[in-house]
Amino acid sequence: MLSIANLQARIDDKPILRGIDLDVKPGEVHAIMGPNGSGKSTLGYVLSGREGYEVTAGSVRFDGQDLLAMATEERARAGLFLAFQYPVEIPGVSNMEFLKASVDAVRAHRGVEPLDAVRFLRLAREKCEAVGMKTDFLKRGVNEGFSGGEKKRNEILQMMLLEPRLAILDETDSGLDIDALQVVAAGVNGLRAADRSFVIVTHYQRLLDYIVPDFVHVLAHGRIVKSGGRELALELEDKGYAWIGKEAG
Amino acid sequence: MGAFDRNLAAALYAARPAPEWIRALRETARLAWSAAPWPTRKTEAWKYTALDALDATAWLRCAEAGELGFDAAALVPGLDADRLVFVDGCYRAELSCVEAQPGVRVVNFRAANSGDRATIDGALGQLAAGTDNPFVALNGCWLDDGVLLHVGAGVRARRPVHVVHVGAAPDGPSAHAQRLLAVLGRGAELDLIEQFVDLPGAGESLVAGLSELRVGEGARLGHYRLHGEQERAVHVGAVYVELARDARCESLLFALGGALKRIDFRLRHRGPGASCRLDGIYLARHRQHVDLHTTVEHEVAHATTEQVCRGIVDDAARAVFNGRIHIHPQAQKSSAELSNRNLLLSDEAEVDTKPELEIYADDVRCSHGATVSRIDEKSLYYLLTRGIGRREAEVLLGYGFVNELVSRVGDEALAAMLREVVRDWLGQPGLPAGGDAA
Amino acid sequence: MSEHIESLLKQDYAAGFVTAVESETLPPGLDENVVRLISAKKGEPEWLTEWRLEAYRGWRQMAEPTWAHVHFPPVDFAAVSYYSAPKSMADGPKSLDEVDPELLRTYEKLGIPLHERAKLAGVAVDAVFDSVSVVTTFKEKLHEAGVVFCPISEAVHTHPELVRKYLGSVVPRRDNFYAALNSAVFSDGSFVYIPPGVRCPMELSTYFRINEAKTGQFERTLIIADEGSHVSYLEGCTAPMRDENQLHAAVVELVALKGARIKYSTVQNWYPGDRDGKGGIYNFVTKRGLCHDHASISWTQVETGSAITWKYPSVVLRGDHSVGEFYSVALTNNLQQADTGTKMIHLGRNTRSTIISKGISAGRSSNAYRGLVRISPRAEGARNYTQCDSLLIGDRCGAHTFPYIESRNASATVEHEATTSKVSEDQLFLCRQRGLDAEKAVSMIVNGFCREVFKELPMEFAVEAGKLLEVSLEGSVG
Repeated sequence: MLSIANLQARIDDKPILRGIDLDVKPGEVHAIMGPNGSGKSTLGYVLSGREGYEVTAGSVRFDGQDLLAMATEERARAGLFLAFQYPVEIPGVSNMEFLKASVDAVRAHRGVEPLDAVRFLRLAREKCEAVGMKTDFLKRGVNEGFSGGEKKRNEILQMMLLEPRLAILDETDSGLDIDALQVVAAGVNGLRAADRSFVIVTHYQRLLDYIVPDFVHVLAHGRIVKSGGRELALELEDKGYAWIGKEAG
Repeated sequence: MGAFDRNLAAALYAARPAPEWIRALRETARLAWSAAPWPTRKTEAWKYTALDALDATAWLRCAEAGELGFDAAALVPGLDADRLVFVDGCYRAELSCVEAQPGVRVVNFRAANSGDRATIDGALGQLAAGTDNPFVALNGCWLDDGVLLHVGAGVRARRPVHVVHVGAAPDGPSAHAQRLLAVLGRGAELDLIEQFVDLPGAGESLVAGLSELRVGEGARLGHYRLHGEQERAVHVGAVYVELARDARCESLLFALGGALKRIDFRLRHRGPGASCRLDGIYLARHRQHVDLHTTVEHEVAHATTEQVCRGIVDDAARAVFNGRIHIHPQAQKSSAELSNRNLLLSDEAEVDTKPELEIYADDVRCSHGATVSRIDEKSLYYLLTRGIGRREAEVLLGYGFVNELVSRVGDEALAAMLREVVRDWLGQPGLPAGGDAA
Repeated sequence: MSEHIESLLKQDYAAGFVTAVESETLPPGLDENVVRLISAKKGEPEWLTEWRLEAYRGWRQMAEPTWAHVHFPPVDFAAVSYYSAPKSMADGPKSLDEVDPELLRTYEKLGIPLHERAKLAGVAVDAVFDSVSVVTTFKEKLHEAGVVFCPISEAVHTHPELVRKYLGSVVPRRDNFYAALNSAVFSDGSFVYIPPGVRCPMELSTYFRINEAKTGQFERTLIIADEGSHVSYLEGCTAPMRDENQLHAAVVELVALKGARIKYSTVQNWYPGDRDGKGGIYNFVTKRGLCHDHASISWTQVETGSAITWKYPSVVLRGDHSVGEFYSVALTNNLQQADTGTKMIHLGRNTRSTIISKGISAGRSSNAYRGLVRISPRAEGARNYTQCDSLLIGDRCGAHTFPYIESRNASATVEHEATTSKVSEDQLFLCRQRGLDAEKAVSMIVNGFCREVFKELPMEFAVEAGKLLEVSLEGSVG
């Protein structure tokens, strides 16, 4: 599904990714862990096509397409979803308007009829309840005045509505209490399917107690320095990140 | 073509039949007009707005009342209001509709009874007195009719008043005045909508506007001034508001651009406890020019001002904002906040903004902020990652930027209409670079 | 406000003494002959005499600006003497040993020792007394680095090509009324040239002193930082206490060539007049810098003196990626009036500017920030951030903010914020409850308010500025 080869990228002439190789097959859950500043968030931004992140080498194939040649919104419509660590607030645009515009765009790309307002509202309310939010939350401005936890729930809500092929969760667990963490996990687990994959970017292994990954990778200095199974995350929790650097030389 | 002839302009309505008191006011105004200094680029209040648009056309025709089938109620669908309709400056009773309510007078000047006359004599021109804005005098020279609103003490107007100004004459250019006087007694309540529209095919017009709004002790006024004329229209208008003790004014000025649109809005806090919320929205494209000058005078202690103005400027348009807050020496415990934000969408467009604080009292809370930038990159990226196309995302963000203010409009029908206007405006593609508006 | 604070306010203007030196002073009045005479006294080349005359002719056609938020009776330009110099200096600046000891004592009293033994550590000083430069210290050491630091009257002879090329290149002769006047009659001032790639080995400083009565001071400073060079320059000013107003109309031009950096700091403490507004300097100054590609100019000013301040140190960001900064503390007390701020003219791509202005008004004074941020159509990616804060002490003063923002490029971002506050009783109470007296409390609060600007000053100046503020505030709390 996703195939990253020797991906290198920089911001303002400062190299951040120094050669990432990663293969994600349909149905798999990959966790990417690493210390602060290792390039974890950058990977999500580069894959989703954020301006200011310059790819200097490497390639990314997504469902057979050249991902890097696509515009940000095309990537999203093709089924790539990024859940943000710090979702932006957009006052004046109601969550409902935003979600409808987004779902309409993705459905149009898939050649599916847009949902009428009534059916969409029903669907949105249902998902809203699934992430433990009151439905009046749909009327508020996008993320406007939301708490950290509410913003993250809103990200999961969007993921559930858009039903992506590949979801990248960028430190979605940071700053969450245990209830919200379980909502996030339930959202992901509920979507797990044979044709859908997840990349979970996290600093702590806590989230992985709830979302059990098939693979764990350690990112340091812009490279994946170690890969393993579930047990690698536990080992990291035990020993911290320092030993990885030494081992990887 | 030719320079704006001030003498000819002053004489335009001199011979027009009118009640004696109106003719007398015209004469007084004519003297003021001939004495008023004419603004130049060196006049601070006109630094960014040239009066070229006046020079470009010979405004030497009075507006005339023609036949017209027009449904003013359709302008704001669902708005249940007393409605006064003026077509090319002339009052049209057959298009208007006012339900009598005890304690509320909604009437045009020419239909004023003796009680109305007393109100007019006691207040008309007083709020605008002493201004150095020459267009106030021009308004007087062209005075032909107007609107009087009077809400008695303790009376709450059952319905909003909707004053509609329609430009219709296809064979412009014509010129006329718009005039309104509202007097709210102690504890009175009123919502007033002043709306300016042009019919398709309406010709060029020059309107000198003047509204005076006096809000009595503890009274509340909702004021919405909506400018949606066609592009060649020139409007130079002024709104004067006075708030007595504990009075409140909630105001939205909404202006689409035109050849020249200049609004001077001046509010005086004259009694402690007075408060106002002044919102402004301006949308300009093509080669339009829109200029909003606001002044808030804190003349007494314990008054509050909250002001938010936002504009979107595209193509080769120009928007000017000047927001002055003046705290007088005795106005302790004043609170005043002003925010002006602008989205600049084109390199040929220009925004000139000047928020001003002039403060002579120390125990006050005053701040202002102004920004000019394009659409926020982070927000745009967020929408793109959700699959929304770039153009649509820009429209959505522009809409949200303005909608924050529209959402403060209490009347749902009015808010819905404004949202529609904003969406339409944002949805229209701009002209190619260098394209002409006309 | 509490009387404790009031009682604090009686310090005298410490720099208000008069030096008894014999001076040669031109009779009041200005015409072409006076301009020629000034030029002749300095033995100037023909082109400069003509340059001055051209400026004079321009000035005669110009009117005094009236847009500033200041009020004063019209200046009688015919009653001002346009040139005054100590007689002992008649033959131009000499070596330190030959300078009239009375002059040296003046500067010592002001805390500016000119003897190199007692030198200000690491600071080279050019001392300007009325219309002439008295002495410039550390000349040799600077010479080794290739740095030229001398009176502009000397540079006209020693570096004529640089002076001719750059004089009036940033502030044209007819830029404004006062700049035109200065261009016609400027007497002395400092000239600095930093060669390519050189980091000036020490701070450069000019100390301006008005001594003679009924004279105007019209100094002219020109600083050229060649490609990739760095320089930090400090300027200080004082004048005796006199009952009549005296005119100070200076012009400062800065040229930062490609990749150069100029940091210009001012502590302006001209005599502000007495508590009733009698006397004091009219400080009408034009300061402007021009940045080429990747260059940066930073203005830092602490303005506590003068009866009237009319001053807008500006940066023309002509080069791509150039940077302009303006950090200002302006304090007015008694009947002082200040209308000061900056202009940031963004012409180049990716140009950046920052404006931090702190205005403090006390007594019956008036303090206005006036600024212009202009983004030209080709200033792709330009950014400005402006923060203007006003602090009011007492309820008889005025604090005003007049920012002009003109943006003509969609990719530019301009942000302006302004706030107004007062020294609150709560803050005072807290400080006093913790054992500080009221005076100390106010000065602490005011210093805190100014911190963002003070940290931009060179260390010695920052300390000085803090003390100056304390002194200037005396009598303000009541």
